[in-house]
Amino acid sequence: MIHIALGDYFAPLLNLANYVSELPTSVQLRESQYVMPWVFVLHVISMCMFAGTILMMDLRLLGVGHMQTPFSQVQRRLFPWQMFAMVFSSATGLALVWGNPLNYVANIIFWVKMLAMAVAGLNALAFHFITEYTLVDWDSGQTPPSAAKLAGWLSIFLWANVILSGRLIPYAITWFRS
Amino acid sequence: MEQYFIDIASWPVSRAINESSWIFPLVQAFHLVALGFLAGSILMVDLRLLGKGFSQQPIARVARDARPWLLASLVAMVVTGVPQFMSLATKEYESPYFRWKMMFLVGALIWTFTVKKVVAYSPEGRFGGALTKLVGLVSIALWTCVAVNGRLIGFFS
Repeated sequence: MIHIALGDYFAPLLNLANYVSELPTSVQLRESQYVMPWVFVLHVISMCMFAGTILMMDLRLLGVGHMQTPFSQVQRRLFPWQMFAMVFSSATGLALVWGNPLNYVANIIFWVKMLAMAVAGLNALAFHFITEYTLVDWDSGQTPPSAAKLAGWLSIFLWANVILSGRLIPYAITWFRS
Repeated sequence: MEQYFIDIASWPVSRAINESSWIFPLVQAFHLVALGFLAGSILMVDLRLLGKGFSQQPIARVARDARPWLLASLVAMVVTGVPQFMSLATKEYESPYFRWKMMFLVGALIWTFTVKKVVAYSPEGRFGGALTKLVGLVSIALWTCVAVNGRLIGFFS
């Protein structure tokens, strides 16, 4: 249904997906009976590490979790794990798309997931460049300011959306058959 | 035993879940969101046991802070897990991965609420560094096996 909404703008993307799907590595991935399921498994494991470390930081931002640890410490100590997990997730996610590009490129739920990821990234940047300057005022406090809570709520909402839409990608075919 | 699973699958609720085109997918998707919270609350303590994570805090303090979220996400996992099991009970009965998942789940729960709990809440220094690390590693390994087998149920059964 994406191609109907986007019309001509969609054609280059579809061509690219067609091109990738014919590459030997893509064909091999697609036809491997055991590799693909294990890439899915690794994608879920990397999600556990990524979402886990992000969501716990969000709970601290909301003032409802890990309150005995200053926010700056939560952030600094989790950052390397978040980055590692993001690379791990991206690599496994890329392999999934590489193996079946045509499954994803015309799938509306896949693009909802990509959009939610992009907005989640913007939310993190906005927090870093705006709200973080006030951190000295509330680092160890029990009630973070509204701006911090907003960033936490947005992060939970957006990453939950990424997880939900990620899991629902295969159902788009049955739900939105046109 | 098998008859028991067949009975569950034939309950009206189970059949309703199966016949709907959106209940199962949504429940499954929220199971994964709950998994994110569960993984986080487990990982915060395990990383701390390994000397990573919030290493400036005592282990007991990190465990105490994670506890309500551990319990809440376990409840959310059960609430979203049981309907999936009900609707697929006969299939789950035959799936080796479902059995593995349940075995690892029991092991992980026992480990978390006995050995890991004792080590995490003991006064700092009562257990050696190597033992503390081992307890964290075993926890990560057990819970990873639960998640891996959970994902595999959908592929090979």
